[in-house]
Amino acid sequence: MKLFVEASKKIPIVSIAVGFRSGSTFDPEGKEGLARMTARMLRRGCDGLDADEIEDTIDRLGGEFGADASPSASTAHAEVIARQIDPFLDLAQKLLGAPTFPEIELGRLAREAQAELIESRESDRTLAARAFRRTLFVNHPYGRRVAGSLASLEAIGRADVDSFYRAHYTKKNAVVAISGDVSDKGAHEMAERLLSRLSEGTLVTDKVPEARPAAGRRLVIVDKPERTQTQMVVGWLGTHPEDEDHIAWLVGNTTFGGTFTSRLMQEIRAKRGWSYGASSRVGFDRHRDAFTMWTAPSAVDAPACLALEIELLSQVRKEGLSQEEVDFTKSYLSRSHAFEIDTPRKRVHQPFEEALYDLPSGYHTGYLARVRDVSREAVNAALTRRMPEGDLVVAVVATDADSGAPLREALAGSSATVVPYDLE
Amino acid sequence: MSTPEQISAIVHSVNASRPAEQHVSYLGATPFGQGIRLDRFSLPNGLMVLIEVDASAPVVSLQTWMRVGSRFEKPGKTGISHLFEHLMFGETEEHAHGAFDRMLEEAGGDTNAATFLDWTYYHQNLPRDAVPLGLRLEAVRLHKLVLREQQVASEKEVVANERRQRVDDDVDGAVSEILYREAYKEHAYGIPTIGWMEDIQGFTPEDCLDFYRTYYAPNNATLVLVGDVDLESILGVIADQFGPLLRSEIPPEDVHPEPPQVEERRVVVEKPTMTDRLAIGFKGPSLGDFDHAPLVILNEILFGGRSSRLHRRLVKELELATEVRGWVGTFRDPSLYDIGLVAREGVTSAQLEVIFDEEIEKVRATPVTVEELDRAKSRLELATLQSLEAVSGRAETIGFYETVLGEPGALFTKLDAYRRVSVSDALRVARRFLSKSARTVIEVHPSPEADDDEGDDASEEVAA
Repeated sequence: MKLFVEASKKIPIVSIAVGFRSGSTFDPEGKEGLARMTARMLRRGCDGLDADEIEDTIDRLGGEFGADASPSASTAHAEVIARQIDPFLDLAQKLLGAPTFPEIELGRLAREAQAELIESRESDRTLAARAFRRTLFVNHPYGRRVAGSLASLEAIGRADVDSFYRAHYTKKNAVVAISGDVSDKGAHEMAERLLSRLSEGTLVTDKVPEARPAAGRRLVIVDKPERTQTQMVVGWLGTHPEDEDHIAWLVGNTTFGGTFTSRLMQEIRAKRGWSYGASSRVGFDRHRDAFTMWTAPSAVDAPACLALEIELLSQVRKEGLSQEEVDFTKSYLSRSHAFEIDTPRKRVHQPFEEALYDLPSGYHTGYLARVRDVSREAVNAALTRRMPEGDLVVAVVATDADSGAPLREALAGSSATVVPYDLE
Repeated sequence: MSTPEQISAIVHSVNASRPAEQHVSYLGATPFGQGIRLDRFSLPNGLMVLIEVDASAPVVSLQTWMRVGSRFEKPGKTGISHLFEHLMFGETEEHAHGAFDRMLEEAGGDTNAATFLDWTYYHQNLPRDAVPLGLRLEAVRLHKLVLREQQVASEKEVVANERRQRVDDDVDGAVSEILYREAYKEHAYGIPTIGWMEDIQGFTPEDCLDFYRTYYAPNNATLVLVGDVDLESILGVIADQFGPLLRSEIPPEDVHPEPPQVEERRVVVEKPTMTDRLAIGFKGPSLGDFDHAPLVILNEILFGGRSSRLHRRLVKELELATEVRGWVGTFRDPSLYDIGLVAREGVTSAQLEVIFDEEIEKVRATPVTVEELDRAKSRLELATLQSLEAVSGRAETIGFYETVLGEPGALFTKLDAYRRVSVSDALRVARRFLSKSARTVIEVHPSPEADDDEGDDASEEVAA
C-alpha cells in the first residue's frame, strides 16, 4: 500500500481516497461493466450491515462514500466531518474489506444501472462521446463502455463480482490519500485501519496494447430526432505520459483549445458565435487515450463549424504556433499552477494520481520546470506529429434527415455511418 | 488576523494620501464560522467591499456581485441580464475586445460569470500577484464598457446556442422552463433567466447600453475578495480603481408579488425523451423566511441521498424511477420547492405520482423520526463545510448571502437554524407548503417518433 498525506486544520473535514490500480480494462468479454458494478456493490452490504443500514450510518455520521471504476483504476472516495472520523473508519474498513455482495442487491443494482444506461441517451454529449470512443478505439479495451451494456449487465453474477474484488481490491494493489483535519501519524494509523481487512494480494499490471485505429477519416452520425443543435466530437489518439513530446503537446493543446482565449474558442465562439463551448483536450491515464475537440453548433452551422475545425487543425500543423502564443501559454500554465495545489485535497491528489497511474516519477513536482523548458519548436513538432488531419474520427449527434447530407459533404472523402441514438 | 483597531489604522493610512471621494470606510467585522472573519468596507460611491484574508495558499478569489438578475426583466426584453453578463467580457475604452480574458489568462487567472433570478456575479480566480490587475480590469469594465453592433450580434448568437444546449435540446431544461412559467403568473421568477429565443435575437446595442447605465453602478455592487491579500495595499488599489466610479440612481423595482396559488396547475407535454418524467413545484418560502431551514431539512429527508424516503421507495424498493431530486429555491422572494422524478422505461408518470402523493401525505400526517432529522442535519453540515474548502467557494457563499439577504455570513446562521429544526418544525412546513392546491405539475411523456413540425408549444396541454 502506498500512502500520501496532506494535513490541514483549516476546515474540520477529512477526505480519503483509496485507489486500486485496475479498472474496466479487466472486464471479461460479454461482462462489460463488472469493474463498475464491483465498486458500486461495496456500499450495498458488508459484514453486519445491510444496504439500508450502511446508507443510514453514512448519513448519520455526516459522511460521504462513493466508489467507481475507470478504464485503469477502481477508486473509493470518502469524506466525513472530522469529529466522526473514528466511527466512520470502522464503517469504511468494512465497506472496503468485508463486502458481502448480496444477490438481491446485485440484481437491484443491475436493473438500476440498466435504467441509467437508458436515461443516458438523454445526454447528447454522452452519446457523442460514446460514438467517438467506439469508433476510435474499435477492438481496443478503451472502446468498451465502463458502464457496460444492457446485455452485459444482465450477464454479471455474484461470483464475477466476488472474483473481481478478490483479484484487485488488495493491499498490494492499493494507493491511499488522506487529507484535511488529520495529523501525519494519525493518517498512517487510519490507512492501516482502512485496509486491515483486505488480503495482501499482488500488484496488478494491466496489459493494454497501443490502440491502432484504421487510418483515414470516419464520420459517425448519431441520429436523434428533433435536434436543433448538434454535439460534435472531432479527434484522434491522445498522448502517453512517457512520450517524449508529452509536455510539448499539452502546451500546444492549451494554445489550440485549452483556454477561453485559445484558437478554437476565439474562432468558433468569439468571432462567429457558432457554439457556446469550443475546446480541445489531450487525454491520458496509464496509457494513451484520445485527443478531442468539442463543440455544440446549431444544426444549421454544424457543417461550417466542422470544416473550420479541420481547417484550424490543418493550419496549426502547417504554420505552427507563434513564439508569442507559446510564451503566453507557458506563462498561463506556470502562473495558474497555484490553483492545482491550493487545497489539501488537490495537493494530495497529485502524488496519489502519480502512483495510481504509474506516471513517470516526479511527474507533478517537475511539471512546472518541464513547461518552462519546452521550446516553440518542440511544441510545433508535437502538433504536427500528433494531430494528423488525414486521420480523424468525427462523431456528431444530429437529426440525420436534416443535417446528415451537409455534414457528409463537409467531411468529403470520409467513410460515413449513421447509428440510432438508442444503439447502446 | 488583524484586530479591528489595526484595520482602522490601515484604513487611516490608505486614506491619508487620497482624496475624500476615494476614502475607504471600515464598517466592522462579521463572524464567518469558526476561525474565519470577514471585514466590511465601503467607498463613498456606495460600493460594498467584503474581504477575508487567508494566506494558506498564494491564491485569491475576486468576485463582483451585482444586485440585478432576470427578476428585473419585462416581457419582450427577457434575457438581457444574462446577455449583458456575456458582453461584460468585451471591449472597454481602455482595452480591445478579448483583452480582458487575455490579460488575466497571461497572469494565470481564470474568469467567468453567472446570472440567475436575483443576481449576476463575475468571478476571477487569481494568483496572488495578479490581484491588482484583476481589480483594475474589473473597475474599468464597470464604467467604461464599449458596446458595438458586431459584438452584440455575435454574443446573441452565442447565447442562442447556449439556449439550444441548455433548454431547447435538453428535456430537463425545457421542462424546468415550463414549470417556472406556469408556477409564476405575476412575479418575474416565471421568466427564464436565459430569456425567450425571440427576445434574445431582438436585442440591440441600445437595449444593452440602457441596461448597463441603469444597473451597473458601484452602489448596486459588492466586491468580495477571499485569499492571500495584503489588506493595506489591496484597499489602496480598490480606492484608486473603484473610487472614481460614479453612483447612479437605481430605479425602484417594479415587482409584482405572486398571488397565492389556490388550485393545482397541470401541464402535459410531449418531448423527445425515452421515459416519462414529472416536474412538480410547490410554492415555497423565501430564503429569509423562518421556515426555509425546516423545509430544507424536510427536503433532505424526502430526497437527500440514498437513505431518503423517495429514493428508497421509488428507486430502490419499487424500481419505478431512475432519479428523484428536490431543491428548495434560494430566492429573495417566495421560492419554488422544485422537484423532479424520472421514470424507468415502461413506467408512467401517473405511477410515480401515486407514490409521490403517498409520501407527501405521510409527512403531512405524521412527524418524521428524530433519526431522520439527525441524518439530514449531518448531511447539511458536511455540505456546508465542503463549500468552504476553496477560496472561490467561500467568496461565492459570502457574495450570494450578502446580495440576497444582506448578511454575508448567513451560511452559518442557516447552519445554526438547521441544527435547531425539530420534528414539529418539519411537520409544520409540510402542512404549510406541501398542499396540492399550491403546486404545479408538469407531466412529460415521450413524443411519438413521427414527424411533428408544429413545434413544442403545439404538444402542450394545459389543465387548470
